[in-house]
Amino acid sequence: MVIHRQARRSWDLLYLLTLRELKLRYEDTFFGFLWSLIRPLLQGAVLFVVLRKFIRIEVEDYHLVLLAGLFPWTWFQTSLLLAVGAFAGNGGLIKKVYFPRFVLPLATVLNNGVQYALSIPVLVILLLFSGYTPNWTWLIGIPYLLIVEAVLIMGIVLFIASLDVYFRDLEHLTDVFVGLIWFYLTPVIYPLSIVPAKYHDWVLLNPMASLIEGWRQLFLHNQIPGADMWPALVFAVAIAVIGAFSFSKMQGGFADAL
Amino acid sequence: MPSNALSDIGGDTAISFDGVSKHYSLALQKEASDVKSMILHLPRFLSNARRPFVALDQINLRVRRGESVGIIGPNGSGKSTTLRIMSGITPPTSGKVTINGRVSALLELGSGFHPRITGRENALLNAVLLGLTLKEAHEVLPDIIAFSELGEFIDQPMRTYSSGMFFRLGFSVSVHVQPEILLIDEVLAVGDAQFQDKCMEHIHGLRRKGVTLGLVTHDMLSLPKFCDRGILIEHGHITDEGSPQQIVHNYLARVEALLALRVEDQLELKVAQAVPS
Repeated sequence: MVIHRQARRSWDLLYLLTLRELKLRYEDTFFGFLWSLIRPLLQGAVLFVVLRKFIRIEVEDYHLVLLAGLFPWTWFQTSLLLAVGAFAGNGGLIKKVYFPRFVLPLATVLNNGVQYALSIPVLVILLLFSGYTPNWTWLIGIPYLLIVEAVLIMGIVLFIASLDVYFRDLEHLTDVFVGLIWFYLTPVIYPLSIVPAKYHDWVLLNPMASLIEGWRQLFLHNQIPGADMWPALVFAVAIAVIGAFSFSKMQGGFADAL
Repeated sequence: MPSNALSDIGGDTAISFDGVSKHYSLALQKEASDVKSMILHLPRFLSNARRPFVALDQINLRVRRGESVGIIGPNGSGKSTTLRIMSGITPPTSGKVTINGRVSALLELGSGFHPRITGRENALLNAVLLGLTLKEAHEVLPDIIAFSELGEFIDQPMRTYSSGMFFRLGFSVSVHVQPEILLIDEVLAVGDAQFQDKCMEHIHGLRRKGVTLGLVTHDMLSLPKFCDRGILIEHGHITDEGSPQQIVHNYLARVEALLALRVEDQLELKVAQAVPS
């Protein structure tokens, strides 16, 4: 029963820490929870004006294509940037209390996942305005994609947050790599369909590309993504195993290294 | 009583250390860890000069269930490292550690308290952090709050707390998480005299319930009060072990002798200076 008890506690801790982060984020702010919607909507509006009106990207219902990619991407990017320092930034706690430490980065992922889930209704309103109607496929598609993305992000953050304890450059590396390179190579501000066909295979090797396209397929076409999702699925499973393994190998040294 | 009887880790052993060592590697040159200094000091960087620091050297120790052991020794001798290994915070470099029972360690009061949420929310999170499930934490929360004597302040953000209130809540959570083994590192001097008495009484109560106690302290008076056995650690070795009174007596005698020696040295030095050769 000891193992069961530990699992129970880990889950409780994850829940309490996620709740605390959510609460702290909006505490003492006037707009409170609205900030979670204002930020991606403003970013979407600016990108829409620049890309659709100035650069004149030729995509039907571009604002929907954009937001359907930008919202799930924001979950990914924010989680990575905030969680990479989850162990390194909590040295005081890790050195003084023994607890299942993996809950620290995972709570950040969950917290941002909740933010993302809460932004989906905004997307629904915009879809309805443009004549799209969600159907039953969403009931399966949303939990399915939420789980795939959560597993994928959690695997990555367990890996990079563990390494970051010994190699603090990772915080800068993550910032540069995710914000400046990965973002542009993933069809977030453009759909895959606009990329010349000869590059498709390469673009789709990027697990985030197939995941973002999967979200679009669900939101804009009411289709549950199928075999095209394989890079995201394979990567999510692989990185979850790598993340869990590297965390369990490295965590013993956390208290000494911090 | 043999302290290193390790073959019989049975039902009555709470903690056992079998040849436990802890080494830390201290970088000789702290600067040689970024690109600039790596290039400037390339030979040294390649030689990877690191000095191992032995915090604990082949420690054998056995604590029986329900026993109360006090650890004393000079600063940097390895007392706190011992508690950290017992609590699982850091693994030993070599040797075998066996812990039978749920450990709660008071290495620092209020670790993990967040200033912007209320005392109640912090107490709940802290109780789970220290070893309870959420359900159990909800059950003991009223006891924690009552013990802390915070009154209506419990629903205020913790940034409004005085340091005394902060520590009172920290202590209160730590002793209410129903540990089977309680490890305490120098955190007994909490709050005013009356609250301290209450803490002492609570710890005695836990002992009567059969909780195993590991205590690191510089307070030579509290050792005989709380402990069945004293252990003296110096330079990572157990150098003395026995009844608390005896250990404290021996230790103080040695410290005194050391001080006397130092005074003598200084006198000799002064005499030598005063008398020109």
